[in-house]
Amino acid sequence: MSAIEIDNISKIFNAGSGNQVVALTDIDLSIASGEFVSLIGPSGCGKSTLLRLIANLLEPTDGNIVVNGKSPKQARLDQDYGMAFQQSGLFEWRTVAKNIELPLELKGWDKAKRHERAMEMLELVKLADFAGHYPWQLSGGMQQRVAIARALAVHPSLLLMDEPFGALDEMTREHMQSELLNICRASGTTVVFVTHSIPEAVYLSNRVVVMSPRPGRVTEIVNVSIEGERSDATRDNDAFFRGITAVREALRGVEMSDHVRGIEDR
Amino acid sequence: MSSRVSTLVRNVWPPALFGVLFVALWEFVVKFFDLKPYFLAPPSKIWQKFTENFDLVWGAATVSGTNALIGLLAGALFGMAMSLVLSRFRVLNDLITPLAIALNAIPIFVLVAVLNNMFAITSEVPRRIMVTLVVYFIVLVNVAKGLTQVSPTHVELMRSYAASDTQILKKVRIPNAVPYLFTALKIAAPASVITAFVSEYFGGSQNGLGSRIASNIANSKNAVAWAYVLGACLLGLVFYVISSVLEGVSTPGGRAKRSQEGR
Repeated sequence: MSAIEIDNISKIFNAGSGNQVVALTDIDLSIASGEFVSLIGPSGCGKSTLLRLIANLLEPTDGNIVVNGKSPKQARLDQDYGMAFQQSGLFEWRTVAKNIELPLELKGWDKAKRHERAMEMLELVKLADFAGHYPWQLSGGMQQRVAIARALAVHPSLLLMDEPFGALDEMTREHMQSELLNICRASGTTVVFVTHSIPEAVYLSNRVVVMSPRPGRVTEIVNVSIEGERSDATRDNDAFFRGITAVREALRGVEMSDHVRGIEDR
Repeated sequence: MSSRVSTLVRNVWPPALFGVLFVALWEFVVKFFDLKPYFLAPPSKIWQKFTENFDLVWGAATVSGTNALIGLLAGALFGMAMSLVLSRFRVLNDLITPLAIALNAIPIFVLVAVLNNMFAITSEVPRRIMVTLVVYFIVLVNVAKGLTQVSPTHVELMRSYAASDTQILKKVRIPNAVPYLFTALKIAAPASVITAFVSEYFGGSQNGLGSRIASNIANSKNAVAWAYVLGACLLGLVFYVISSVLEGVSTPGGRAKRSQEGR
């Protein structure tokens, strides 16, 4: 069963006015349940817009999206997905545990059950000792782990992530990538992941969706065929490098028509 | 804990020493140049008048202090209520906020002359209304800012949790506005005392610190006037300290920060 069906989507900002921007046109994409899919492309290709359309934070101008067999709005109201952004977006007046409890509070869970789930999530991201700390007492990587724990707190079947590791240093970033894969493998979560980094996309994903700007569209979908479970050893794997080359070439196709900005090729 | 005390001592003694030296210099200048008491009274004389007339100064301080306190509380209450209304209705916000900012920049306490005309000559109400107005605009402008200037990521997150506008207000906007409220109170507390004093210069009962200062100067009782000025300084200080302490205990992050520094 597919987790997300995107059918001929387009999104136009300020339609009809002088500064009309065509953000996305003719997007078709089907994401299977349990799949990890990355969206990659230069700035302005509409990858964050596409993520927000799936999340129902924006409405498409044209076309249809189905999330878990329902409309994106219904999926949002049912809290079918968790979301994480580049800024951890933790509430600085709440402790780490209370931050994770927030989505559960809004769902009307009682206090004991909320706390139990928060502690369970903190175990998962290995921060159980920091439940009573405030966000500013944590490093950037730890804050981002709390944000992921919060996104997973309602046990959603779908995780939507917008460059969640973009502000982290390279070492922390690789470590977080491995942890994210472990968590998703354990829970069977479907992930849509927006990134600027080619190695990150290839390491994490079953499929990498390469997008191009003006107007935003899908130019190629690269299948990453790495055998077995991914670990740090995967980064020295031939299949990993073949994946990187394939995505880079797909992006170069984008480059010929337009200058590629904002792609990290490390 | 001990390092906290020593930090406090280190921060306090230079200005304290400076203050003592300044008073000593003042005393010296008055004595050395034999300045007449109607020109400038020496600190020793002021202190003597202060202790002699303590009951009178205390009484006047109670009158001015009560006016300032009532105005401060009423202004803060109305300011908070109005900022909640404004944050809910964008149109009103666009209409009223620029006006409030403009009013904040002009000395609106002169309005007390007009207000005095509307009430009985011995009424304290015009003074209290004046303080309320001054505090109201300070609190309104700051709290409205705290309610509206929230992180876009926080709002997107709340929408992804299917939160209603009321839930966003309770869980994001109001907590975000708390530090802004205390910043406003820190500005408004001294302003409320100043407004209470100055309001007394525009007529009404001669019972507060401001009017006593004016009447004693008019009667050439310069040292007594200074004793009331000292009372006014102390009252202003009390208001400031209370608002600072309130700020410290009411912000959870600030409290945690301090306890960590204490370790």
